[in-house]
Amino acid sequence: MSFAKIISTLLFIGLLSGCAQYDNKRGVDVVWQPEVVNGLVKGESTRKDVLMLLGPPSQVIALEDESVLYYLFEHSKGEGLILIVYNTFKVDTSYDRAIFFFDENDVLTDMATRIQGQTGA
Amino acid sequence: MRDAILRYCLLSALVLLGACSQYYYDLGTPLSAAQLPMVDEQRQLGGVLAELGPPLRVSSTASGYVLAWEHWDITETKLGISLGFAGAEALSIDWGTARARGEFLLLGFNHDHEMTSATFTEWDNDAGGGKSLQPLGGLIPVVDVDDLLTAMPQHRWGAASLEELPVSLNSDNRPDTGQNGIEQRGTPTAVGQRSLEMD
Repeated sequence: MSFAKIISTLLFIGLLSGCAQYDNKRGVDVVWQPEVVNGLVKGESTRKDVLMLLGPPSQVIALEDESVLYYLFEHSKGEGLILIVYNTFKVDTSYDRAIFFFDENDVLTDMATRIQGQTGA
Repeated sequence: MRDAILRYCLLSALVLLGACSQYYYDLGTPLSAAQLPMVDEQRQLGGVLAELGPPLRVSSTASGYVLAWEHWDITETKLGISLGFAGAEALSIDWGTARARGEFLLLGFNHDHEMTSATFTEWDNDAGGGKSLQPLGGLIPVVDVDDLLTAMPQHRWGAASLEELPVSLNSDNRPDTGQNGIEQRGTPTAVGQRSLEMD
């Protein structure tokens, strides 16, 4: 095969192939870093303190006298290879989240946070 | 020279007629049975949260709360041959399959934040698939995992009354509001708490 044919074949294949990148973010801003929530103390901090620090939650759950504030940030990252004859796409979804439990007096009783790649509180 | 060009075009066309596509979806962080707390250890909510982190699904129950952690690994494979490249949307032969692997950890707590129940399950199942010979082109997908890839229900909280009427009217029973229990991805809606949604 001549050099020109090899080049034209490679160009032809190159024109047909491609790649793709995908990024999808849903939810509230991640503001529950350890240095932010470390100031919250079980039995002392109130729901007002948490709302002042983190803003409106993704979800509020109520049960009788107790309540829960739930914060969620969902991040999907995808990468694809398009070779026409064979195509592959991989999507990784991670969930950064924080949850706070309050008693009937709106005092914090339990909490936990998790940010991808970091250790939670 | 003319024969060479002809062979080149024929080879290119043959290559472009068929294609294979694979999709991989990884949702969440893997779990293991070793993370299942023992009920008789009288675990407190705070200790469990410190160990496992915030749950992905939460709901109140009559006796307290249920919290769930989940991980899904979904693979979707499609193989198809079509004449679409030749400009003739006249024939499509498709084959597809999907596989779902995952883990689900469900813990129950009472009003005193003491763990009352714990269960863990993991699966590696065929999630469906199909074959088709469609004379008018590939109109119908042979594999569909969209119901397993939906966003978490927390994003839709507060919008329950903005859904279609049968769904909004069923908001008191829906398992994605945090008040009426929880459900796993892919749970059919034709029975149970969502049956009134008439999906």
